[in-house]
Amino acid sequence: MSSSMSRMAVAAVTALSLVASACGTGPATPPAPEAAPAALPSGGESAGTQLSALAPENIAKSRPPAPFDVTGNWFIDVSQNPEAWRFGPPYPKLTAAAQVHYDASQKAAKEGKVYRDDIGQCWPAGLPLIMTRYWPMAMVQIPTAIYMISGFMNSVRIVYLDGRSHTDPDIIVRTFNGESIGRWEGDTLVVDTVGFRGDHHWMDQGGASIPAGEQLHIVERIRMVNGQLEIEYTMTDPEYWEGEWKSTKRFNRVNDEDIQEVSCLPDLNEHLQSTTSKTQVR
Amino acid sequence: MRRVIFGCVWALVLAYAVPALAHHSPAAFDRTKEVTLVGTVKEFRWQNPHTWIEVNVPDAKGNVVLWGVELTSPTYLIRAGWKSNTIKPGDKVTVVVNPVRTGEPAGIFRKLILADGRELTERPARLGTPDSK
Repeated sequence: MSSSMSRMAVAAVTALSLVASACGTGPATPPAPEAAPAALPSGGESAGTQLSALAPENIAKSRPPAPFDVTGNWFIDVSQNPEAWRFGPPYPKLTAAAQVHYDASQKAAKEGKVYRDDIGQCWPAGLPLIMTRYWPMAMVQIPTAIYMISGFMNSVRIVYLDGRSHTDPDIIVRTFNGESIGRWEGDTLVVDTVGFRGDHHWMDQGGASIPAGEQLHIVERIRMVNGQLEIEYTMTDPEYWEGEWKSTKRFNRVNDEDIQEVSCLPDLNEHLQSTTSKTQVR
Repeated sequence: MRRVIFGCVWALVLAYAVPALAHHSPAAFDRTKEVTLVGTVKEFRWQNPHTWIEVNVPDAKGNVVLWGVELTSPTYLIRAGWKSNTIKPGDKVTVVVNPVRTGEPAGIFRKLILADGRELTERPARLGTPDSK
């Protein structure tokens, strides 16, 4: 063993010993008399102490009744406009960093090509597009969270309703659907989402490619209106556009269909020649 | 006699009829153009997010060209009367597609005509509305 490896091994053993001691499992450290389990703070708990949204103790906490329950399958209402699934046009004023992609996608479209269709290459659609991609979204609401599974690639999105705060940006694992925290304001559920992946993530595509970056911040105001789920989106990302990008979507209940298992794999794309053809601009 | 009929049909309604249910951008396809393929099924895969058909199609020079045809998910095909065994390898079929713009042998599905003359399409991807029934 080299000297550096020996030092690493000693350091690792030392660290494990310290952890074991701190957890009260080390043989050399007797438990302190005052070492009774500390009560968890209520709401806004830090990482590692936050009760799971599925913990019975969390679900059982006293809370006002939810104004509505979104449990069900929902599908974007495209009965009036087949393009209603898109969040633009109109678009906000793009930054130079976004305009490069937008212009490249327009040029590709004029040549009959598709610019960086990452979703077609099986990358997750991510928020906001995952909500509207012409596949139903199954939602299950419990007092502490709404669990969403998209019929589109089975993408999972969780909206926490248990009063927690956003995860420390230094430790959050960035994802395509971000981290969603919801709170009730009268008859409206306000959902705040941050923590997005900033690569292979798009706000629109197909001739109007606009990227989504790590600074993307989405606020959804969700209401039940005449049996439809209405979501008013306010989206900011100073890396890629100026000001607020707003769009309102409405969803219909789907009571005669359940979502299914979906697998987007390279093997699939080998049989979908359009995803590998010369039409694709990487 | 098997043959391939290439036909261009300017029909803007097609652009309206092909929504974004594909997992990829539909922009690769020329929706103003229809190609009718007459050939033999090599493979039919019934799965999500896409069903697909591979069809061996003889061209005008007598060569056999393998075409890839992309279909929607079984959800919408079932609503249009399809089953997982509607076609199988070796079946003689006629398939109408909107081809990719590059001239490669691939397209997105419009219509299937079986050997017995039955025609199958797919239902619009508009769950939650009477259109999808």
